[in-house]
Amino acid sequence: MTATFAILKRELLTYFVSPLAYVFLGVFLFLAGVFFYLGIALTGEASLRVMMGNVSISLMFVLPMLTMRHFAEEQKTGTFEMLMTSPVSPVSILVGKWLASLTLCLLMLLGTGLFVAILVYYGDPDWGVIATSYLGLFLTCGVFCAGGLFASSLTDDQVAAGMGGIVLLMPLWLVGSASSLVGEEWQARLDHLALLPHLRSFTKGVIDTADLAYFALLTFGFLFLTFRTLESRRWR
Amino acid sequence: MIEVEHLTKRYGAFTAIEDVSFSVPKGHVLGFIGPNGAGKTTTMRVLTGFLPATEGRAVVAGFDVFEDPVEVKRRVGYLPETPPLYRELTVGEYLRFCAELRELPRGDRLRRVGEVMERVGLRGWERRVLGTLSKGYRQRVGLAQALLHNPPVLILDEPTSGLDPAQNVGVRELIAGLAGDHTIILSTHILPEVEALCAQVVLINKGKIAASGTMEAVRAQAAPAYYRVSLDAAGVEPAAVARAVGALAEVNVVQPEGDALRVECAPGVDPRPAIAAMAVGRGWGVRALERTIPTLEEAFLSIVGREGA
Repeated sequence: MTATFAILKRELLTYFVSPLAYVFLGVFLFLAGVFFYLGIALTGEASLRVMMGNVSISLMFVLPMLTMRHFAEEQKTGTFEMLMTSPVSPVSILVGKWLASLTLCLLMLLGTGLFVAILVYYGDPDWGVIATSYLGLFLTCGVFCAGGLFASSLTDDQVAAGMGGIVLLMPLWLVGSASSLVGEEWQARLDHLALLPHLRSFTKGVIDTADLAYFALLTFGFLFLTFRTLESRRWR
Repeated sequence: MIEVEHLTKRYGAFTAIEDVSFSVPKGHVLGFIGPNGAGKTTTMRVLTGFLPATEGRAVVAGFDVFEDPVEVKRRVGYLPETPPLYRELTVGEYLRFCAELRELPRGDRLRRVGEVMERVGLRGWERRVLGTLSKGYRQRVGLAQALLHNPPVLILDEPTSGLDPAQNVGVRELIAGLAGDHTIILSTHILPEVEALCAQVVLINKGKIAASGTMEAVRAQAAPAYYRVSLDAAGVEPAAVARAVGALAEVNVVQPEGDALRVECAPGVDPRPAIAAMAVGRGWGVRALERTIPTLEEAFLSIVGREGA
């Protein structure tokens, strides 16, 4: 626990003493702002539904860029050797790093609170739907951060880790729009694998255990793969 | 304190180290030398629990590295070849992070960080950013990190590489001060440093131990001791003097070396009394009769050869 917290603190310190955190917050809020405006302009609804879908896809590209350094850089600079020779389990290291990236995600999502404020000022949004939408988006962040960490653990090259993370996560999006290739019947089955249909339940205000299980499974799956990779790096 | 038995590490078809065995008693400093790529770093990484060995056993501070890696890690301070620093942090932030990783109790962390900084000569450097430090100061921070939890065993991979001569002396004095309380394995390319610090030496070459034991034993193993003999025989030709010395039963080889003679004997034989008696018998004076042990550098070169050079 102490070690996990130490690593979490260290990662957050690194985010905020470098331009990293500010760049991510800025870029993300800009993108979210664009989608928020488009969503309102196109539908005329006082809701975050359009924004949420588009934001989740942007996160698929943004978050691997955030997590790419987590293991790749440590392996390149040799600090990984220090972590692995201190009495800390790979799980603590992994969870500390995952929580750090998730903390930044939380800040990014909090930043979009401004848009909620605008909705409240001009319209009458459904608070329940807003709450479940944010829950869904946060769970999505958990999956993407875990996937990005997995990519980062595979290489000591940050750019490769970032691109690898995007390529790893993209199928979660692409399988949702493959109907022209596989036909409608198969598409209905593939939709179970795709991320957006699961997120859509949340943005409609529904919390379904199937959707929760989907996000939990992916997150744990990626974290487990990362753990195995860290372990195996020592054996190769 | 450190027992290494038949350690072998293979990467696929490549054998990094093969059948490496040695031991270091408590409080001793072991000098680990050998050419680049000989397997020094690999051996140290196995001992710190960073790499598992393919075969063999290693016990550090009473715990098996493969069975109780966490217990070993608690008792080892490790300075890798490149100090493992987060460039964007300050010295203080970094050492406090290490103190947490090293499970120091909350109340002791700050005090201990201060003590260690004092010890490695970093007082007043707390707020400096690691990325802006010179090589010598990075090395000091690396050492501070290894000392934080006051480990009984220290494994230092080239602690003086890249330092200027003054810093070198500083680190050497620091290590000499740590010996006794700590058991230390030290790898280095600077052989006079090993001669100054280490009672024991392991010379590793191409993954295998080429020589090991006390400093004297390793030096003698590489090239036997020889004697420098200088006799004052007025009016006698140098060649005749050499012949007279060579005629002694104790002496194997005689070679002129400047105005003296280089005398080699079988191991364990000391020809000095015989030479002195012979000189006295002939009425010659004795200017010098010295036993010369090869330096570690000579030993190193005679064992490793000059292939790499």
